[in-house]
Amino acid sequence: MTTAESQISVTSFTPTELYARILRDEPTFILDVRNEDEAKRSPIEGRKNLTSLNIPYFAFLEDEDGSTARTPQDRAIFVVCAKEGSSQYVADVLAERGYQARYLEGGYMNWGNFYDIRDVVSAPWGRIVQVARPARGDLSFAVISDGQAALIDPMRHTAVYTDLVAAAGAQLTHVFDTHVHADHISGGPALANETGATYYIHAYDAIHPIDMLPAVIAYTHTQEGDRFQVGAVTITTRWFPGHTLGQVNYRLDAPDGKSALFTGDGIFLRSFGRPDLGGKSEAWTPMLYRSLTERLPAMADEDTLILPAHFSTLDEGTSEGIFAAPYAEVKATNEALRPRDEAEFTSYVLSHLPVFPPEYVEIKRVNIGLVVPCEGKAAELELGKNICALAGA
Amino acid sequence: MSTFDQTLDVKGAKCPMPLVKSRKALTELTVGQTLKVIATDKGSVADFQGWAKTAKNVELVAQETVSEGSQALYVHYLKRTA
Repeated sequence: MTTAESQISVTSFTPTELYARILRDEPTFILDVRNEDEAKRSPIEGRKNLTSLNIPYFAFLEDEDGSTARTPQDRAIFVVCAKEGSSQYVADVLAERGYQARYLEGGYMNWGNFYDIRDVVSAPWGRIVQVARPARGDLSFAVISDGQAALIDPMRHTAVYTDLVAAAGAQLTHVFDTHVHADHISGGPALANETGATYYIHAYDAIHPIDMLPAVIAYTHTQEGDRFQVGAVTITTRWFPGHTLGQVNYRLDAPDGKSALFTGDGIFLRSFGRPDLGGKSEAWTPMLYRSLTERLPAMADEDTLILPAHFSTLDEGTSEGIFAAPYAEVKATNEALRPRDEAEFTSYVLSHLPVFPPEYVEIKRVNIGLVVPCEGKAAELELGKNICALAGA
Repeated sequence: MSTFDQTLDVKGAKCPMPLVKSRKALTELTVGQTLKVIATDKGSVADFQGWAKTAKNVELVAQETVSEGSQALYVHYLKRTA
């Protein structure tokens, strides 16, 4: 390293800062210095004003002048790599040449594991808190009321949830998964172990649909109509098969008459959960049709807040990053709920199935305890964004 | 296993160092010679492939993964071509 280089102290930026910029839609130029495949597989996505350019760090090593010349000079450069080191190197090179360049702390790995926490509902009876992993498009929720807490679809980094519950001065009593996830590793079983709370899934999901092997984790079966009291609110299990056999929605009823429906991968705000990840799309699609057309109207009121487990693009949410909408609005805007007969629906679904990520079979194994990955493997399985919704739906 | 002329051990080195060091070590070989690089950074597998395509004087002859105890080693054979 030359003297000139060592005198420049390039500064970093955090996932928190990046997400705030994305939500405000501030012009943000990402220079992604990962190799082409990784940059394509898991891009950093924003709204309109986020642009990105991929120039691998080894292109800077080979041809510093040429690579620098491809980087625009008239704006701040946010350099991103896989784990940090290479982005720091590239930011150094750019800063030395007068660029305003910073690098992402912890790299894409850190962005993928970044959680954003905010209240969806705050009322005299308590709160519904959204816990999002923006890079993955994953959403989970905490319900806190009268010193008790329940979690819905918590993710792998359990401290995020135990800290949240502790900060609220509450005790975790219920951990609900809407289904056994295929795209990310659930934090549910570990949270139940750590805290003594009960972990609930529908037993149909406790069998791996491809392996036909039963779960070896501890869980409590929950089925249609089960009711749970969490502080002042009631949570009711509603069966919603289609994405999986044991997909359930959890309906929350608050003392002020308000309600919410945690829909997991049943219905999303603009799409719905694909029915093929169990390898049985032709058998499961008609079931999904009945869930969408018959079960959903029976479990949601017009003003019931729909709270799904995923989003596909950030514009599904508000400018504050809240991904929730009343059922009436979802009905009006979600193409999935457009009235059509079963044959039309089935042929539409079967012709719009996105790629089936091979790691999804393995993630389901992890989620019912058939495989126990190390941290590195777990992180690798979860890299990139979820593909749980139908393409173009 | 491929034949090689020199070995470079970059175990424990994090990105971008495996590539930076390999690049430097290659300049010390004569044209036509092969460098064996032993890395522990899994990211080096895809990165060396991308680098070999970008660089004008490097050919990635072979790559292999071997285990040493509980840890995986990512081995790259790089030929200096110019």
